[in-house]
Amino acid sequence: MAILTVENLRVRFKTPFGAVYALRGIDFELAKGQTLGLVGETGCGKSVTGRSIMRLLDDNAQVTHGRIIFEDKDLLQVDDGEMRRIRGNRIAMIFQDPSAALNPLFTIGQQINDVLRAHASNTREGRQSQIVELLASVGLPDPAQMADVYPHQLSGGQQQRAMIAQSLAAQPDVIIADEPTTALDVTIQAQILDLLRTLQRERAISVILITHDLGIVAETCQHVVVLYAGRVVETGSVAAIFADPQHPYTQGLLAALPRPGSRGADLTVIPGSVPSGLERIAGCAFAPRCEHVMDRCRGHQPALAEIGSAHQSACFLHEASGDG
Amino acid sequence: MADPLLIVRDLSMTFLRRAGLFGRRTHQIRALNQVSFTIEAGETFGIVGESGCGKSTLARCLLRLLQPTGGSVRFDGVDLLALGDEEMRRMRQRMQIVLQNPFSSLNPRLNGFDLIAEPLRTHMELSRKEMTDRVASLLAEVGLSGEFMSRHPHQLSGGQAQRIALARALAPNPAFLILDEPTSALDVSVQAQIINLLLRLQRQRGLAYLFITHDLSVIQHISDRIAVMYLGKIVEETASEEIFADPQHPYTQALLSSTPMPDPASGGQRIILPGTAPSAANPPAGCAFHPRCSEVMEQCRTVFPAPRHTAPDHQVSCHLYDHAQ
Repeated sequence: MAILTVENLRVRFKTPFGAVYALRGIDFELAKGQTLGLVGETGCGKSVTGRSIMRLLDDNAQVTHGRIIFEDKDLLQVDDGEMRRIRGNRIAMIFQDPSAALNPLFTIGQQINDVLRAHASNTREGRQSQIVELLASVGLPDPAQMADVYPHQLSGGQQQRAMIAQSLAAQPDVIIADEPTTALDVTIQAQILDLLRTLQRERAISVILITHDLGIVAETCQHVVVLYAGRVVETGSVAAIFADPQHPYTQGLLAALPRPGSRGADLTVIPGSVPSGLERIAGCAFAPRCEHVMDRCRGHQPALAEIGSAHQSACFLHEASGDG
Repeated sequence: MADPLLIVRDLSMTFLRRAGLFGRRTHQIRALNQVSFTIEAGETFGIVGESGCGKSTLARCLLRLLQPTGGSVRFDGVDLLALGDEEMRRMRQRMQIVLQNPFSSLNPRLNGFDLIAEPLRTHMELSRKEMTDRVASLLAEVGLSGEFMSRHPHQLSGGQAQRIALARALAPNPAFLILDEPTSALDVSVQAQIINLLLRLQRQRGLAYLFITHDLSVIQHISDRIAVMYLGKIVEETASEEIFADPQHPYTQALLSSTPMPDPASGGQRIILPGTAPSAANPPAGCAFHPRCSEVMEQCRTVFPAPRHTAPDHQVSCHLYDHAQ
């Protein structure tokens, strides 16, 4: 069952150079208790999607179309007060740079206390023990003392743990994690991903993991949504996407990765680079870089079509081969 | 066999940092601790490690952008640490560096032509015509057309800027390139383009590379041999394939196990290291890895393990292998 559904979401930004079309019709569903990977390269719209759900877009952004359904409510329509209650309480967000997301003037304990006070009714003593419990649950050493330290006294990995503890304080149903380990070393990244997996399993939280790293998706997620230039080009189970990618962009991305045993061989390259978002795109946005491009790809936009069980791809090739 | 192009012996770099009121207390930060390796002409030597392990300090010491506090560096038979500043400047024609972020290493006021011509002007006398021809052929070598001569860095994508940085490094005809995380800021599809370009340039020019990165998948793809660094020391060194097939140091094993692989079927048990790397200002006694090591023994806490050969081309610094040679 879907806990969160995004339908035909379109977002554009006003810039001095003209309108940038960041999301050009995004559709996906987050199933309850699932970890969904939102993956793509710089500028594909993965972070804008996360921020749209939280209604944390910058002032120059405009949602021109679409619905974000969370428990029968369209998050784009609810009033600010209700959105504030949903944000944090029900849907929490974790960012790439914890040192920017934590307030440097307050101790970790004070910041978690703020969340607890805003979202749950409890006594001061009750909150104090909850804080220690939360800090322990994210694997911080000496949780009782950790409550009294300031963010700058923690390492990058510890700050990320503290931010996760803060996001758990209101017991959210959904966590949106935007590149949560990109700033961390690999051995620390492994710790944080392990923590996210454990929390997700033990608390049955649904997670949207935004990342550019296909390795992280393969090891952490059950479901994948591949974005290109503000649209979903392919979606499916991790097993299906990695074993049998169908969209030429997904195929290109996976083939471009260096893998053990390929030493010195030329890597498969996707020629050209991603579109800027400034131009309106009539057909498939990937057409200029696609080796299978056909005439109709330039004028018409392929829709997501079922190509296997829980596996969809937006490409005219599937029709040509008679699958669709 | 010809002598190696680069021979590094016991290279050490200790920074002094003042602390306390009026800086009366000083403490030492051992960023590099007796690092030794050699690089043959035309080969790629990879160095992998996490932040703070000393890999970028090493790059700067080799070029003498930092003055090492101990050890020796011989490049093409010349003792670099004995050279005067002017001689060292001339030597840098032959050894160049490319950094992670081209937008901070390229002067934003210069266009493509001047960025590439600048090292040519410093190192050789050329007429305007010769200069233009050289810049055009360097651009072609890195896969860019002549129109990039008039572009400034802000008009370039990350991949294009990194190509300009490469052309600039190649301008004085070096024999040796230090590549410090050259693809880490790039998207996957662009990273593949730059890696292919580096492999082609190496074949065509017979360049030797020192490739520094935190990314094991990238480094195994491009390197002939790999050294793993932890807290200022090389803890393991061997052929590229061996690092993946037979990692021996517990840190190398954890690093490999922590690297996410784009293969959901590869599952299996992950080694999750506890804690974080200690500070180089206050390293643990004995083996610096012992507080995080699952196989720690009594002597690890007091004695630093000497490097041992476990195979002719495989060296590891770990007490688990003390019985070897």
